[in-house]
Amino acid sequence: MLRVLLAIWAGKLAALALRALGRAGTHVPGIVARKIHPGIIGAIRHPARVVAVTGTNGKTTVSNLLAEALTHQGLVVASNRNGSNLAAGVTATLIGAVSWAGKPKADIGVFEMDERSAKLVLPGLAPDILVGMNLTRDSIKRNAHPAYIAWIVSSALSEKTTLVLNADDLIISSLGTENNPRVFFAVDKLPTDGTRPHGAAVDVAICPVCETTLDWNYWRFNHIGKAVCPTGDFRSPDASYRARDIDAAAGTLSLDLDGDVRSAHLINTNIVNVYNEIAVAATLDVLGVDRDKIVAVFDEIEPPTTRFDTERVGDTAIVRLLTKGLVGVACSRAFEYLASFAGRKTAVLNIDEVSERTTDVENTAWTYDADYEYLADDTLEQIVVGGVRRHDQALRLAIAGVDTSRIVLVESEVDAADAVELKGASGVFNLHSVHNAEITGNPVQKRLRERLGARS
Amino acid sequence: MSLTIEMLYPEIANLHGDNFNITYLAQCRPDARIVRTSLTDTPAFVSGAVDLVYLGPLTEKGQIAAIERLRPHRDRIEALIESGTHFLFTHNALEVLGQRIRNDEMGYDVSGVGVFDLESTLSMFGRYSGKVMGSVPGLATPVVGYKSQFSMVSVSDTAAATSIAPFLTAARGIGRNRATALEGVRRNNFVGTSLIGPILVNNPHFTRDLLARLDPNTEPVLAHESFALAAYESRLEGFRDEKRWHAHERLT
Repeated sequence: MLRVLLAIWAGKLAALALRALGRAGTHVPGIVARKIHPGIIGAIRHPARVVAVTGTNGKTTVSNLLAEALTHQGLVVASNRNGSNLAAGVTATLIGAVSWAGKPKADIGVFEMDERSAKLVLPGLAPDILVGMNLTRDSIKRNAHPAYIAWIVSSALSEKTTLVLNADDLIISSLGTENNPRVFFAVDKLPTDGTRPHGAAVDVAICPVCETTLDWNYWRFNHIGKAVCPTGDFRSPDASYRARDIDAAAGTLSLDLDGDVRSAHLINTNIVNVYNEIAVAATLDVLGVDRDKIVAVFDEIEPPTTRFDTERVGDTAIVRLLTKGLVGVACSRAFEYLASFAGRKTAVLNIDEVSERTTDVENTAWTYDADYEYLADDTLEQIVVGGVRRHDQALRLAIAGVDTSRIVLVESEVDAADAVELKGASGVFNLHSVHNAEITGNPVQKRLRERLGARS
Repeated sequence: MSLTIEMLYPEIANLHGDNFNITYLAQCRPDARIVRTSLTDTPAFVSGAVDLVYLGPLTEKGQIAAIERLRPHRDRIEALIESGTHFLFTHNALEVLGQRIRNDEMGYDVSGVGVFDLESTLSMFGRYSGKVMGSVPGLATPVVGYKSQFSMVSVSDTAAATSIAPFLTAARGIGRNRATALEGVRRNNFVGTSLIGPILVNNPHFTRDLLARLDPNTEPVLAHESFALAAYESRLEGFRDEKRWHAHERLT
């Protein structure tokens, strides 16, 4: 017990010191505490209830929305929403949620958990509820493939944890054992869905029982959809929590809460956020929040800034699009969005991995996990590629079927903004990665704005 | 002549973008016939003529599934290798043809198809990622690529370490494991390599050589040649820079 208290005190002192220096102190206090007591996540007293949220996409948004929604219910919520989702960040939040004597101060903890960190976090945290959003391909180097991540999470999971899982993801929906209590959420068939998977990253294509190629009642992207084995050996789980009747114009959708259908405010039209909304609703229902309050909460909460941002200069839209390098699946969604933009467009593409420019030679295999084929569209009249790996990007674009006369290569990422054709374009896209957002994304945006402003 | 290229089990063997090896090859030879063989099909090479048999990166479960499907055809695979049929097995697909795959963390130790005297050991919390640059016999330019894998491969105890010719000898980076510069397997026209990239996209000179070997009577043409060569030269320049090589990429 003394060691636990020492770890708590060290963590709290570290947090105080960091805050005095003007830093957030959401990670280092956890590192300090874990050095004193490596098992502090399990040894420290937890809030009365603990919810963890994990998955490749949506975990940040869903944990933030859950924390906000539960705060609206008058609960004291401990959450790592402003900090790290690794073991140190979870530890720092747990320490912040107890007094100096180690007594819990929060009613409930909501933790975003990096899925790769499950081995370090889950055994100690032992959440009452684990929300699983999806598992799709991520960094080849770090995450290998989604089934590997599912194995890590399942291996670390207590059978007492209630699972709230995405039924439309056949990998994450298989987490845990048959002893885990579980409910599923899903988004019903949409007009834009298909029935045949396509693209480079389809991670579930065969029946897990007989290996026959699956049929799809609806297929959305990657392995997301509702599948059935033609031999009858297998089908996607039935979801008791479902989103449907999405009306973007009216800003509403229907939330089917285990047979109780309610109309609710649509927090965002992007399909990813529809999944986030139904996941939040399902989790609140499992937590026992009154259903009237569940529906009402969507009038008051909204997702953080999305990965795209549009500004208009004269008749032209500048669309800034976060295109996460090293993660092909994320790039595919960005390219799909670009392709869906009506009218003639041009693009600046800068998605080299900054951290590997001078100290390594980037493994661009991930670009072949991304569906650059969306960019082989006649309405995309020019793509200016900047950066160290521009030749690799050009080759990938050419293999995808992009007319090579439309590909322009510029060594400087920022100068790519000067080379892109603006005349006649309804939209000019600024595609950049996460790590070059400030050094490339911002100056490109500024130059595009200046050039368009000078024309109007 | 028209080429027939068989992709084995693309519904499960499709990680790390490596199936673009075949997409690119097909763009170099638009007349090629691509046969996609699923797990529930009998491979085309079993009863017919195929110019190139390809198997790409698999999940751990996928490796076991591929072993089960290919094991009945072991003798046929060996005969085709001996008679000079081209094979390209990338990433962990080569391990499928070895003697044994051991994965303590996931709790299995399985026999492979048994074509090569190789054993693979997986370390699920010790994924290796690094660069490799090496020489391939008969090719004037280096082959470059990447490893990103849980497995290390070694020659079986019962076989002499030098009994299996490598695909390449690494000048930089590691080979089949951290203790050898010998990477992959080359037997006649069989190429097995753990390198991803995809290797045929990243190495236009090697691809041109492969095209010439596949069809000696047709002048090989590289798709998007200027882009492919520029990308190769740029990567090679980086690979030749000593500062970009790290301690874990050196042999132990």
